[in-house]
Amino acid sequence: MKDAITKEKVFNHPIDKVWNAISIAEEISTWFLKANFKAEKGYPYTFSSESNEKGCTTISGTIKEANPYVLVYTWIVANTEVETLVTWKLESVPEGTKLHLEHSGISNYTGDTAIEMFESFNSGWEGCINQLTNYLKKIVNAG
Amino acid sequence: MQDKITQLFKAIADPTRREIFHALVITGSALSISQISNQFDISRQGITKHIKTLEDAGLIRLDNKGRERFCYANAKPLKELNTWMKFYEQFWNDSLDNLGSYLDNKPS
Repeated sequence: MKDAITKEKVFNHPIDKVWNAISIAEEISTWFLKANFKAEKGYPYTFSSESNEKGCTTISGTIKEANPYVLVYTWIVANTEVETLVTWKLESVPEGTKLHLEHSGISNYTGDTAIEMFESFNSGWEGCINQLTNYLKKIVNAG
Repeated sequence: MQDKITQLFKAIADPTRREIFHALVITGSALSISQISNQFDISRQGITKHIKTLEDAGLIRLDNKGRERFCYANAKPLKELNTWMKFYEQFWNDSLDNLGSYLDNKPS
């Protein structure tokens, strides 16, 4: 067991398309969470749920690095004051673009906070994610 | 306030401590500090220190019986951590799936 979650995924799309999806506010707001976001070092961003429904958690942090194709920001869940770090790295591969995602600093959470957060997240995030899925379905059906 | 998860990670980061904990889990009952010391090529003082770290993390409980101290394994903190890690695993998996669908449906 370690203090970070890492994910790797290959998308069959050009690197700039993936970069825009993870670094432009309008695009982040479409597939992830409603974002007040600028890919500029030092920018204080926020992620929140689309409808601001009760239960959806707000995330905030600061952009640490934003140069194509590396994006790093701190990740602080509302009311926890615990700082974790999210790193996105893109790499061109023959199949398209390889995304490497790392979420580290999880040991910064105290046991109690972790459990509390888990509980608020568990209902909150599911709601947010369902909203996104529905939104995506609508887009697909409309198109 | 103590940072329990930091202590937990600290406790499980060391291979000797993982072995001590593992030994207690598979034994399924209490072991005295002497019994644990006999199984490892480390001084009793070193073992005591490892046990203190495991105790701080909530992974073992100590019980005094006569002149000996007995250790019991407690896996509950690991379960809590694991549940929480699993949540984040799921969260990022779902998010990246969403990103994939988004990219697939977006005109280039």
